[in-house]
Amino acid sequence: MSAELKEPVYLEEKLKDIQDSGRLDFRSGSLPTWCPGCGYYSMTEGVTNSLNELGLKNENVVCVSGIGCASRFPFFVDVYGFHTLHGRTLPVATGIKTANDDLTVVVVGGDGDGFAIGGGHIPHAAKRNVDITYLLFDNGIYGLTKGQTSPTSSQGFKTSTTPYENREQPLKPLMMVLSYGASWVGQAYAGHQHHLADMIKQAIAHRGFSYLHILSPCVTFDKTNMTYQNMSMAVRPLPEDHDTSSQMAAMREATKTDAPGLGVLFREDRPTLGDNLDAIARSAGADIKPGTAQAAE
Amino acid sequence: MTINGTDLQIAFCGSAGDGTIAVGDILKQAMAMAGYRVIAFDQYPAEIRGFGKCVSRTRVTGEQVYSMKQQTDILVSLDDSHAIPHASEVRDFGAVIYDNAPMSLMAEGEHISGHLQPGQIPYALPIREISERATGSNRGRNMVALGFVAGLYGLQQDVFHTIIARKFKTKPAAVTTDNTAAFDAGFDLGAGEFLFDEISIGEPPAKAKHEARMLSGNSAVVEGCLDAGIEAYFGYPITPATTIMERLVSEMPKRGKRALQTEDEISAIAATIGAGYAGVRSATATSGPGLALMAEMLGLSVMAEVPAVIFVSQRGGPSTGMPTKTEQSDLNLAVFGGSGDAQRIVLAPTNVEGCWRCAGKAFEMAERYQTPVIVLLDLYLSNRYETVVVSPDEQFEPNMSKPMVKGKADEKYQRFATTDDGISPRAIPGQLGGIHTVTGLEHNDMGRPSDQPNIHMDMSEKRHNKLAKAIDHPGITITKRFGDEGDVDVGILAWGSTFGESLEAMMLAREEGIKCAAMKVVMMSPLPEQPITDFMDSASEVLIPELNYEGQFAGIVSGTLGRPVNRLNMVPGTPMRVDDILAEIRKLAGRDKRDAA
Amino acid sequence: MSSAPHLVIIGNGVAGNRAAEILREKDKDCRISIISAGPLLFYNRYELPDVFKGRQDWRDYLENPPEYFSDNNITLRRKSIVADVDTERRKLVLAHREEVSFDQLLVATGGSGYLPERLQETAHLTHQFTTYRSAMGMYRDLPKGGRVVMLGGDMIGLDLARTLIETGYHVTVVPGDRTFWPHEISAEERPKYLSALETMGMEVINHGEVERIEDTTGSAAARRVVFVSGETVAADVVVTQYGLAPMVDFMSTAGVDIERGLLVNPQLKTTRDEIYAAGDVCQIWEQESNGYRFYYGWRNVRKMGEISARNMMGEEVPFETEVDEHLIIKDDGSIDSPFWEYSA
Repeated sequence: MSAELKEPVYLEEKLKDIQDSGRLDFRSGSLPTWCPGCGYYSMTEGVTNSLNELGLKNENVVCVSGIGCASRFPFFVDVYGFHTLHGRTLPVATGIKTANDDLTVVVVGGDGDGFAIGGGHIPHAAKRNVDITYLLFDNGIYGLTKGQTSPTSSQGFKTSTTPYENREQPLKPLMMVLSYGASWVGQAYAGHQHHLADMIKQAIAHRGFSYLHILSPCVTFDKTNMTYQNMSMAVRPLPEDHDTSSQMAAMREATKTDAPGLGVLFREDRPTLGDNLDAIARSAGADIKPGTAQAAE
Repeated sequence: MTINGTDLQIAFCGSAGDGTIAVGDILKQAMAMAGYRVIAFDQYPAEIRGFGKCVSRTRVTGEQVYSMKQQTDILVSLDDSHAIPHASEVRDFGAVIYDNAPMSLMAEGEHISGHLQPGQIPYALPIREISERATGSNRGRNMVALGFVAGLYGLQQDVFHTIIARKFKTKPAAVTTDNTAAFDAGFDLGAGEFLFDEISIGEPPAKAKHEARMLSGNSAVVEGCLDAGIEAYFGYPITPATTIMERLVSEMPKRGKRALQTEDEISAIAATIGAGYAGVRSATATSGPGLALMAEMLGLSVMAEVPAVIFVSQRGGPSTGMPTKTEQSDLNLAVFGGSGDAQRIVLAPTNVEGCWRCAGKAFEMAERYQTPVIVLLDLYLSNRYETVVVSPDEQFEPNMSKPMVKGKADEKYQRFATTDDGISPRAIPGQLGGIHTVTGLEHNDMGRPSDQPNIHMDMSEKRHNKLAKAIDHPGITITKRFGDEGDVDVGILAWGSTFGESLEAMMLAREEGIKCAAMKVVMMSPLPEQPITDFMDSASEVLIPELNYEGQFAGIVSGTLGRPVNRLNMVPGTPMRVDDILAEIRKLAGRDKRDAA
Repeated sequence: MSSAPHLVIIGNGVAGNRAAEILREKDKDCRISIISAGPLLFYNRYELPDVFKGRQDWRDYLENPPEYFSDNNITLRRKSIVADVDTERRKLVLAHREEVSFDQLLVATGGSGYLPERLQETAHLTHQFTTYRSAMGMYRDLPKGGRVVMLGGDMIGLDLARTLIETGYHVTVVPGDRTFWPHEISAEERPKYLSALETMGMEVINHGEVERIEDTTGSAAARRVVFVSGETVAADVVVTQYGLAPMVDFMSTAGVDIERGLLVNPQLKTTRDEIYAAGDVCQIWEQESNGYRFYYGWRNVRKMGEISARNMMGEEVPFETEVDEHLIIKDDGSIDSPFWEYSA
């Protein structure tokens, strides 16, 4: 990828193709403010591409962010956006989706927003199977506030808040989310942009709570642990025979944090929050037709 | 004060399991059906199990009143150990009804007959034995006692039969039969009893034009929500607000609407705001500790200009405080809680009908002014029952949102545009041409983050100015003066449930010849400064009674308006006593009790 | 429970309330309880005939306002019936199964309306005139200007009869053994007094013994009195006035001597040191007659209340009557009796 980006000529030649594809329609007029080399660029690309390829209308998509480097993500995408509070993306998104099943809701956030302050919300969004997509950018550091330790920071990492080294064990988000009952769990790597884009597309297309764990080096505040160099060596595709319907198989893969497997770890179809709320309304006697909730295909 | 010939307060007191609350419920339903106005407040034990005290108090009047009476006319004991402390609340020549054939031998002082005040009239009957004779079980004791009361005072037996049948309609038929038999046995005995007390009940007032609904403060909130077309509710259980959620999760699905129990209060308000952003009428309900958790989200709702309705039923605080006791100590949190200059609308109803109206109006206001609206109740108001009569003509506006109007193709939609009326047009997700992002960051007209000094100053002004218009919001009375017109010796400024006791005290003070007026303040934020100032100008002394230690409303009034006020603060966990307010009025009017008498 | 002695008075009449007043006067700290079977505060039963003069609110008959009891720290237990007295444990057992301890006891229960056995079966068809409640019951059942047949005709009844006549009712007296009770009238004097009643406007009939009372509700009069002789008299209300019988049943296991009433010495003490009696319930030892006798009337009873209280407080004052107990015929031909005297 980096080789391609170094060739501006390539972009110019492809500009017409890109414009014709329609994916620029999902970009807003604002230019991102992330550090050069940040994985968020890949994610933005992945999201705009996916929304375009899924044939969604801009006005039917809502992007929800919290606080962190992902905060301003909604401003760079030409869809409805809600930049909420630190850690509160999932409940806000649950509210939006509960209000209007026809909306496609994409939540973006980092490891701090999701697994530190917002850690209490993930199990509930997962168990309810809220039909939203949670794109979690794990860079193992607090980037926006300039380099403090995060729930997924590596052991031994010296940061401004762990000057003598982080002695705590990092969380294992994939194991957590699997045990919470997320109905779609995948892992991608910002350094593999096309794979990432494909995974985002699958996550959004999934009907239910989809969790995509995106390994994304922080080029500014982490020069030692989750660097592109280190990660590129470590990541690997999931085995071809990986059974995505098996929670046990998924859990086994999720434990391999030294060699993160990229791909879909787990996937199941089960009623979403909207389905269940409709079913409750029907048992209460309301005239609601089954299956009217919109599913992105 | 006798209102239209009828003003009767009946208290049933028993132990959990005695059916105290159930029998109180039947009484109030029956009296309402008979055409009387009712206000009732039940007291439950804090403990879930065991033999905690239950008290069910019902005041029956010809016209709707605002408070319970200080003194009870009739006390019925279903458990003497619990009723004895309440014997003294019965007035002279009022009645105390009790069992004179209890099961077991009692030590001296354990029977209520030894605790009656000389002026009170005892009615003793073998309640348990009558129940056993009528139904073969002692479980009908409560119904025997209720029947005795009904028979004694000549209440309409058939109305009680109807209500009993209705109450037990989901149970096996024998339950209705037994309860009716127990009721009738008590009724016959009561009807044959000689009346020594001076209690009488007048004819019910002329049939009200509209149907009277028997609602608690919390159920009135629910009715208000439903009448206003609530579409989404998110909540987390917390005493004393839980019953709001319990009823909404039952009622909303019947209407095809969605209600969800969230993982905590933060999620509850976050989802409420999310749903509000997505364009539906949404609400949450909580108590003080939950509101404290919600404070940050309130700020987001203010900053992002997203409507949200939050019902708060106050209880004793701080911290976990006294979950089953009433208090008014979350006013500061409701009005000021959160970071920054985050003004919001706070409505505090003073009675159950007000709960209904404030609930509906809260949705209108949240939508119209694009702001969080807190409706502030307290445990006393949440749990007390009143007959509510509302004209069917009184309806809530189904949509008060200022819509985005599609401009020219090249015209960019400005979510936070400055407009003549101070309200920005609002687009909601799904709407073509309205795409925008809202944020908790300070932002410009477009909603783009900005920390430019002029933008922050202009936007702060815009957010505050638009709320001032809520003072003139149609269809709701936000201040009202009662009592003497013109200059008065004492003016009482009261809010929330304490207004009821204040009104009662004011009327008693006037009977003593004190020039006195009371003003209820329903909109606590933004403060209706003009009417409050006018009221204070007319009073030599201003008294602000509230059930909190610090005098929170007094602080807001005196701070905002720069006026001295007299505070009457107490935190007993129970409603303020009319006598306490009256004593303060007398003091301020320069009279002590003897002068007045 | 405070350590102050508990002085318990059974009975809420003239004797009991006078005793309570004196006890409180003498001792500010003792606990005083009055136990009353009725629901009301102490009221003036001598004025009860006034219900026929339109005075029907019981509160108008109260001797003391409610606050009198609180101000004097007198506990009043109403609707409480003493079922048993356990003298050994110094406890009363109330009918509602509560025990009340006492240090000293004053029994001042007075008497209840005596009813001959043959009339007990039809008691529900007759009225009594002993309490406010029974007075109101009679008032309600008696049509304006109606006819009252009074069986017996004790002094309580004759007092009522005076008022009834004064207020436009008809009164027929059926005299018997206990007419003029508690006065004891010799057979020779009897006709004189009976004719005095006629002078006062009463009809006095002598058909002999009453056999039964019949319920004739629906016909012109609601009751019919049938005599053994076969003769009948119609009445709107039949009232029985056979004098009072001391209420002492609950004392039967208390270990005190009882004849008809509680037997007391001139200091009004029973055969147990801690138990006194006063009023219509007690028979007082009289040296002259070498026997026990009752003393009736407001002045006697009140005096007994006072004497018993003083003696409970440690004095040794004997009861001496100051009342001339004779029934008299006034110049206008009507009768008068010290039994009718009272002062409010």
